[in-house]
Amino acid sequence: MEVLAQLLINGLSVGAVYALFALGYTLVFSVLGVINFAHGALFTLGAYLTYLLLGGAVGSNGALAGLQLPLALPLWAALPLAGLGTAAASLVVEAVAFRPLRRRGAEPLLYLITSLGAGVILVNLIQLLMGAEAYALPGQLLGALPAVLALGDGLQIRTVQLLLLLVAALVMLLLSLWLNRSRAGKALQAVAEDATTARLLGINSGAMVQLAFALAGFLAGLAGGLVALSVSIAGPYFGISYGLKGLGVLVLGGLGSVPGAVLGGLIVGIAEACVPGNLSGYKDAVAFAFLFVVLLLRPQGLLGRRLVEKV
Amino acid sequence: MKALPPSPELRRRQGWALSRAACLPILLLLNACGGSNGNQPVNLKGGLPVGAVLSLTGNANVYGQDQKIGLELAQAALKPGSPLPLQLRIEDGGSDEAGATSAFNLLIKGGSAALIGPTLSQQAFAADPIAQRRGVAVLAPSNTATGIPELGSFISRVSAQSSVIAPLSIAKALELHPQIKRAAVFYAQDDAYSTAETTIFQKALTEKGLKPITVQRTQLNDQDFLNQITAALQLKPDLVVLSLQAVDGGNLIRQLRELGYKGTIVVGNGMNTPNIYPICQRACDGILIAQAYSPELPSAANRAFVASYKAKQGGAIPPQLTAQAYAAYQVIAEAAARLNQQQPLQGKSLRQVRLLLNKEILSGSYDTPLGRISFSPAGEVQQESFFVAQVRMNTDGRSGRFALLN
Repeated sequence: MEVLAQLLINGLSVGAVYALFALGYTLVFSVLGVINFAHGALFTLGAYLTYLLLGGAVGSNGALAGLQLPLALPLWAALPLAGLGTAAASLVVEAVAFRPLRRRGAEPLLYLITSLGAGVILVNLIQLLMGAEAYALPGQLLGALPAVLALGDGLQIRTVQLLLLLVAALVMLLLSLWLNRSRAGKALQAVAEDATTARLLGINSGAMVQLAFALAGFLAGLAGGLVALSVSIAGPYFGISYGLKGLGVLVLGGLGSVPGAVLGGLIVGIAEACVPGNLSGYKDAVAFAFLFVVLLLRPQGLLGRRLVEKV
Repeated sequence: MKALPPSPELRRRQGWALSRAACLPILLLLNACGGSNGNQPVNLKGGLPVGAVLSLTGNANVYGQDQKIGLELAQAALKPGSPLPLQLRIEDGGSDEAGATSAFNLLIKGGSAALIGPTLSQQAFAADPIAQRRGVAVLAPSNTATGIPELGSFISRVSAQSSVIAPLSIAKALELHPQIKRAAVFYAQDDAYSTAETTIFQKALTEKGLKPITVQRTQLNDQDFLNQITAALQLKPDLVVLSLQAVDGGNLIRQLRELGYKGTIVVGNGMNTPNIYPICQRACDGILIAQAYSPELPSAANRAFVASYKAKQGGAIPPQLTAQAYAAYQVIAEAAARLNQQQPLQGKSLRQVRLLLNKEILSGSYDTPLGRISFSPAGEVQQESFFVAQVRMNTDGRSGRFALLN
């Protein structure tokens, strides 16, 4: 029982990151029907921005070697600011890699290539400026809190992962409330449902697409900062593996479904945690095998809607 | 008058002509890119062409960056005044097999007389056979997996293999903590170096009467190890042995300590870099590692190398990978100079130069920052000294050093 509870805790904390990551994919997919492959690079950017805003210095291998911001922000301020910075970068990605194709009514496959290109350029730019070395977020960010919290009966969780779980849950709740209660959120859903009809109703679909990209960028930046807090920044490429997993979560939950992204993330996290420790090297294979089985039984994903072809 | 439409035969001929016209520039380009076949004279303009394939991008880029500094320092120290300087061309081999093989092909076709690299053993198993087939000497600066020199007569290395070094740290751990009884082993199952090294570690443990109580498998890209650590800690180990690379290993150590492990930690060559300090931070303190290089080696060659590294890197202490890359360059530079003195290379074919240079590399003895080294006929490095070090973190918790243990 104790082992099972520990697995559940481990799985939830990892799954929350996947869910937060997949939400960004979902937002863009829901309004454009395409996947933004630059999302992993934006996640990486968020981690680096968090590092810089916390007062971290650039290492010796980057073009900005030695650079350090004059002030070091506390974690609670650095995380959302890094999210905003990443949102701005996400808007640039939209303007460069998506908007020109959207205007020409290009095939969805082309978005895949342009967003992948934008992601690769962004990652290489980060490497050029920040160097290839690993970074850990500076300072005693958790203050007097212990590194691990005991939850009784031998159960324990790393404090940073509990924080990650709580922040992810809060953000997902706020996003869900905003989407369902606010005027802008409903407008975004209307564009996701049918862009043409939404336009006829007076909704500026272009602005809604930009809003979706900004929100997706914010979530990617926030997730990057939180993961960097937990496991450090492994280098400019560390968002790539999360990108692949996030894609699986997106499909498992149901393309374009916000609750599906959350559910998919948590399920993949728990599925990975359930792989016995000595077989953990195969946890990706187990997670994707699970995904494969679910999609065989339910091709639209867990909470996705079945598309009916009309003639 | 309205022109008659062209006949099908004429259209077919026009099509052929157009296709050939379109293909011509491509064929010319391919021919230009095709480069050397080895029979043309070696091009010594600017020095003897030597290529290096380093992981400058991808997950192993932390190693490639260290190696690049080593090559640059060697070039700055050894090129001026040399009668036959090396014309070094560095290519990014990424961190996978495909990147390394394409970089090898590029450099071989570009006329390189010898190659340094690739960074990872995993890449070497894919790329080295290409150089072997083309008769180009490869000197590996960082491949420690078993079986690298055995890939062929043109393959050698300055990086001592894990089977020689790894057991030293196990012996030192047991010497420092004779009460150790329960060893847990972790390794990255998708990495050739890690899988080769863990076999050596496990054999060394078993020979000391410590059959591992658990073997936990990870993957190179893993960053979260809660499952493996939870499973291992339930078995109450007092020694943890890791065969991982710098980033995943650093993260695992940090999480291991945070989750309450207080015993001894022994790590392998993949974590033999100061890049682990910012990742595991204070948790790095006390880990044991066997090394093929010590910055504290009191030889003139090493002192000069350490001084040049400190001058370039703001007083930092050089890591093993940088020293080994420096040594690889030095070996080729000295072998080429000796060879040129014995029989001037000007006018010889590239194929001939490659063959002679390989023989000269293997026959020489070199006073490098690693100490004095030479090679077995099979290309395995013969090194006089190995070291066991313990990481001592500074009070800032973000920097430290590998302190040599006697």
